[in-house]
Amino acid sequence: MKRLFSVALGILTAIGGFVDIGDLVTNAVVGSRFGLGLVWVVLVGVVGICVFAQMSGRVAAVSGRATFEIIRERLGPRAGLANLAASFLINLLTLTAEIGGVALALQLATSVDPLLWIPVVAFGVWVVVWRARFALLENVTGLLGLTLLVFAVALFMLAPDWGQLAGQALQPGPPQGEPIATYWFFAVALFGAAMTPYEVFFFSSGAIEERWTVKDLATSRLNVLVGFPLGGLLSVAIAACAAVVLLPASIDVTSLSQVVLPVAQAGGKVALAFVIVGILAATFGAALETTLSSGYTLAQYFGWSWGKFRRPAKAARFHLSMIICLFIAIAILATGVDPILVTEYSVVFSAVALPLTYLPILIIANDREYMGDHVNGRAMNFLGSVYLVIILVAALAAIPLLIITGAGA
Amino acid sequence: MILSDLLGSDVLGADGRRLGSLLDVRLEMSGTPRQLLADLEVVGLLVSPRGRISTWGFERRGADAPAIIARPQRWLHRGTFLVDWRDVAVVEAGRVTLREGAEHLDPMLPSAPRSQ
Amino acid sequence: MNDHRRPAGRVLDAHLHLLDRQLLDRDGLPVTTVDDLELDGIEPGASIDPDAPAPKVTAILTGPDLATRIFGGRPPSSRRVRIPWELVTDVGTAIRLGVAGASLDATWAERWVSEHIIGRIPGGRHDPE
Repeated sequence: MKRLFSVALGILTAIGGFVDIGDLVTNAVVGSRFGLGLVWVVLVGVVGICVFAQMSGRVAAVSGRATFEIIRERLGPRAGLANLAASFLINLLTLTAEIGGVALALQLATSVDPLLWIPVVAFGVWVVVWRARFALLENVTGLLGLTLLVFAVALFMLAPDWGQLAGQALQPGPPQGEPIATYWFFAVALFGAAMTPYEVFFFSSGAIEERWTVKDLATSRLNVLVGFPLGGLLSVAIAACAAVVLLPASIDVTSLSQVVLPVAQAGGKVALAFVIVGILAATFGAALETTLSSGYTLAQYFGWSWGKFRRPAKAARFHLSMIICLFIAIAILATGVDPILVTEYSVVFSAVALPLTYLPILIIANDREYMGDHVNGRAMNFLGSVYLVIILVAALAAIPLLIITGAGA
Repeated sequence: MILSDLLGSDVLGADGRRLGSLLDVRLEMSGTPRQLLADLEVVGLLVSPRGRISTWGFERRGADAPAIIARPQRWLHRGTFLVDWRDVAVVEAGRVTLREGAEHLDPMLPSAPRSQ
Repeated sequence: MNDHRRPAGRVLDAHLHLLDRQLLDRDGLPVTTVDDLELDGIEPGASIDPDAPAPKVTAILTGPDLATRIFGGRPPSSRRVRIPWELVTDVGTAIRLGVAGASLDATWAERWVSEHIIGRIPGGRHDPE
């Protein structure tokens, strides 16, 4: 059990990247339209986030500096501000979507209108951010989020044609009737979600919250190697369930109830209960991750005091900015906008935020004045360089693809 | 005077020819000893003939990893040199003029021990 | 290199090693970032006496200097928030001061928010549970 708790940070971080409310729906949409034809993107994304999360965790443990501090330090105030603006908007849009998502999941469980749940959920997020110790929040949401593994169990219970699934996965490309641009739009969206920058902001700041030092480098590596592949596995399981049940029935996924349909079909009420708990925990966990990341990025750029290990009065602007973010999220949701649609547009801001986040991490991870003997090895630098190029290409392609395909419509 | 007024200034030789841009100001903790640290004195200016800004320092440190960043940075800032502060004649807004015969010194930083 | 140029103390490049770094107080509490540095001993436009003492860093600047570095322009010097360099105890991946952050002008906004908003919300002055 203790081993499991020690990787809670990695699991919670990955949940925010791979199975937050936007991804839950995107994964099911992708599965219902492309089968497993985009699984390779998830694999590429898992390796990429592992490489950079590992670097950011190592930088935090060795030098004591969290990711947005080094972004400001290496990029200077202007490019740093461009990244802050883009990252902050991604955070805020995702936070808005998660609060809406928790409300939707509660609607599945209680049949009460999500609009009534929204203020309750936002208040709940605030109470946890305000009062709960960091270890408590990561352990509870991380472990409960694991119930989403029911998607993997459901896949086995559905007894699919494994040969056909493998065939889809090994022959990437759009199926008949899907334009190639749409296929690549979803590829970029999945990659962007896997590499979304708040994961490294949260992971590196979490490392500081947990007071990791050079002695904890093995823990950091374990967190990365358990958390992100698990996130990728969940993401693939959701797509596979959709590919087995929804693709043949040509059901277009537009709501959360369609995402959970395959699980209900496979395992009945018990499985449905598990999946609802899992979605609640994952979206609530992602809401905590994005709320805290908003505070972390602002505070680290401006040099304010931050951290849940301090009492709120000792990190006043950090807490105030998170309260303001939660109010903005409520205000956006009060307009009745579809929370899931909100996240689709964050891919635009990823185009700016991704390169400006991962470039300084790669530079600092090689800086001996920060890292001493713990600088990157050759293999890590090779992977980091390859991914820097992939990130640049994805960033450049994101906006034209979004416009051409009308956000994958 | 504030540091950002100096950074990016044109650096001119005594004959008025432009030598490059002021990349950075080299400091040394070697002035009057105080209670905590010695005074931090200006000892020289770093001048790059081509690039205007550098915040990563690849051109003045031994580090060459990762190559994908280090190589283009070194190429951009090739020919970067250090000028002794005593070779600076006058500092104006956006322009620094050197004295006659100002020497172009090796810009490399001594490898500093890492401190927490 | 000639002998007389051998460094006598620790060598730092102002932009590379100081600018935009995190500033921590005596207790490790973040204060602000280094937004700019004040240099004493450079008179713009006046020719420099080669025998005059070298200019030195006299203060870390913060607050309005961040905005002018991003958007250009220049704050009136009365609006500047100075942290005298004498207070610095160590320069590393962060810069440490030998005093409590609460004693500095640079932290007035933090203290104001703390006293008037965050400290008044129940639980704001307690450790998390």
